[in-house]
Amino acid sequence: MDPNQKRAKAVDRVDSVDTGAASSESTRMCPFPDEVLERVLSLIGSHKDRSSVSLVCKDWYNAERWSRRHVFIGNCYSVSPEIVAARFPRIRSVTLKGKPRFSDFNLVPEDWGADVHPWLSVFSTAYPFLEELRLKRMAVSDESLEFLATNFQGFKALSLLSCDGFSTDGLKAIATNCKNLTELDVQENGIDDLGGHWLSCFPESLSSLEILNFASLNSEVSFDALEKLVSRCKSLRVLKVNRNVSLDQLQKLLLQAPQLMELGTGTFMQELVSGPVTELKNTFSNCKHLVTLSGLWDATPLYLPVIYPACARLTFLNLSYATLRSIELANLLTHSKSLRRLWLLDTVGDKGLEAVGSCCPLLEELRVFPADPFDQEIFLGVTESGFVSVSRGCPKLRYVLYFCRQMTNAAVATIAQNCPDFTHFRLCIMNPGQPDYLTKEPMDEAFGAIVKTCTKLQRLAVSGLLTDRTFEYIGKYAKNLETLSVAFAGSSDLGMEYVLGGCPKLRKLEIRDCPFGNAALLSGLTKYESMRSLWMSACNVTMNGCRELAKEKPRLNVEVMKDEGSDDSQAHKVYVYRTVAGPRRDAPPFVLTL
Amino acid sequence: MELELSLSPPYQKTPSIINKSFHGGDDDRCSSTVTRFPRVSWNQDEDDDNNKRFFNGEYQQDMDGDGEGLIGWPPLHSWRKRFMEENHSGGEGFNGRVDEEGENINVMNNNYNELLFVKVKMDGVGIARKIDLNAIHSYQMLTSTLIHMFHKYVENDEDGASYKLMYQHKDGHWLLAGDIPWEMFIQTVQRIQMVRK
Repeated sequence: MDPNQKRAKAVDRVDSVDTGAASSESTRMCPFPDEVLERVLSLIGSHKDRSSVSLVCKDWYNAERWSRRHVFIGNCYSVSPEIVAARFPRIRSVTLKGKPRFSDFNLVPEDWGADVHPWLSVFSTAYPFLEELRLKRMAVSDESLEFLATNFQGFKALSLLSCDGFSTDGLKAIATNCKNLTELDVQENGIDDLGGHWLSCFPESLSSLEILNFASLNSEVSFDALEKLVSRCKSLRVLKVNRNVSLDQLQKLLLQAPQLMELGTGTFMQELVSGPVTELKNTFSNCKHLVTLSGLWDATPLYLPVIYPACARLTFLNLSYATLRSIELANLLTHSKSLRRLWLLDTVGDKGLEAVGSCCPLLEELRVFPADPFDQEIFLGVTESGFVSVSRGCPKLRYVLYFCRQMTNAAVATIAQNCPDFTHFRLCIMNPGQPDYLTKEPMDEAFGAIVKTCTKLQRLAVSGLLTDRTFEYIGKYAKNLETLSVAFAGSSDLGMEYVLGGCPKLRKLEIRDCPFGNAALLSGLTKYESMRSLWMSACNVTMNGCRELAKEKPRLNVEVMKDEGSDDSQAHKVYVYRTVAGPRRDAPPFVLTL
Repeated sequence: MELELSLSPPYQKTPSIINKSFHGGDDDRCSSTVTRFPRVSWNQDEDDDNNKRFFNGEYQQDMDGDGEGLIGWPPLHSWRKRFMEENHSGGEGFNGRVDEEGENINVMNNNYNELLFVKVKMDGVGIARKIDLNAIHSYQMLTSTLIHMFHKYVENDEDGASYKLMYQHKDGHWLLAGDIPWEMFIQTVQRIQMVRK
């Protein structure tokens, strides 16, 4: 690009921040030529840092926008594709997130929006050399995938998480047309699975694949095609297959790809034949670079030992699809001392968690999912005691997601003392509004202990019986909190007001089924523009309250989702977010922008 | 051990909390799991209309169509829920399956898209359960599974000898289980009942 041409370009400033450098035409603040500045800035990866850089002065704003290769858009409706394309001319990689997080739990109706297609249309002209697209909670159609596959010649990496609206036909288009594909990651989406033929659409000439993840697809793919693909893609480092791939087949794949770093197995159970077990063990032992292991569906004590040789090197083990019991887990963990991240099913019980505490001193992240979330038997799963055991043995814990049926304030206080470095604390006591089961008191002190002790806390999800006191603690002590999830909690508007009045770094607040009303909603008037979004559903907010918010804050989109058959004056689902793109033009009939 | 089914967990029986089951004993409406959501009164003061109205009303409205409870709760992704449903047939008992001789059973490659769930009800127990018959390969395994599933309702009875296993044929009539080969059984069984002798 001709530097003179660049300097002459008008600055499409999105924000109206004037740094006082408007007169820098003649008195240049920056002693370097543009190219040097750009080169330096191109080394800055973090988008937050880049935002800061762009605010320094006009020259830096320009140098930053020309050197940016990756753009991260946390809310697809906060900005329009046209604005993005106008500001950043040289993007190669886009991360785009759409629906509010509660859509993962069916709280957002279908056809709500977040369609990726308008973005792709603009990108096809603005970024014809786009290489990477990472989408989360977007609506993606087969037509969009085909459009992507055929309009971007150098396209390399596609990652879809929690998206829906497409089928395996869309994957066919990607496999067929993207000649330089390095990544195809489609786990955990609402895919319409029409069969496994898509995998056979990769041409024989394609050997560039580095990441392939189709773990959550149900249909069988042609093993022959898969094996050939794996064998010719010498740079393959991540392979996560689906449950239909048998142990024998896995064995064959691993022989072709000993260089793998991340492996998601298929089913881990099959007919017992003595030969393959020892061979399989050797094969795993030969995968010297394996650091992540997942899948392991139907894993039993019969076959689990084959992974033992690889366990010593593992840093991330995802057992959340393996219904292991405590003894099986304990045996496995004695081989896995290097684990940093561990995901489990609660079938392992408190005893299993004791084993975690004893074997994994380097553990930083633990997620325990319920195997039977709707079963009310309280003797199933894990309790406060398991959590405490882990906290004793794993002082480096910083990320926890824990589903349980009982908890006490004292236990959580102990956990906080043992693990003061929590950055993410997500506790889900599965019965809504359940108190401390020993003292019968609310769980306020538990979360109080967390926010007081864990000063680095960025993300918090609360549960159990909670009064406004919990929120008083949060507002007062959680100085670094960015994301807060609340359900079935609080006693009055005060609760939400405490949070909005404190928590200086709050960006995302999602609330369901709480007694917070208009006063609470409006108490955040000055705060919402500094946040990404607010979600409130099944609370006490009315249309009038929302209208007032919308009137006072024109730069926010205040959207109300109408519910069939509910009172028209109540605002059943409210989604508020800052935007520079104005009200949505693609809102379906049930979404009202006030 | 009493057979009477307590519909709410013991720890919730405190004076300030009202417990009420949302489901009656209607089997036909029961899915594999019955969720009991108590109405929780936040305050000791029963006359606090705001709170009472709020929680009782909202819980009722947000119930899932098939009676599984509140929408979106617990907060688990649908792909994880799907996996759990597939494993609901008492998966724990099947790790390392062995048959009567202690030999490992030849497990057929399950086509995971085909699940054969049938409802199982035990005399005297209000809640029906469901099991996946495709994951079970013999009558012996069926009885062990059922014992494991309903064990807390059976009084010190290791082999369930005080119950007999009846099944409803697809023609509608009830028969004693065990007379026909297993493969034929799973073709015709509609539902299963454990009947007290």
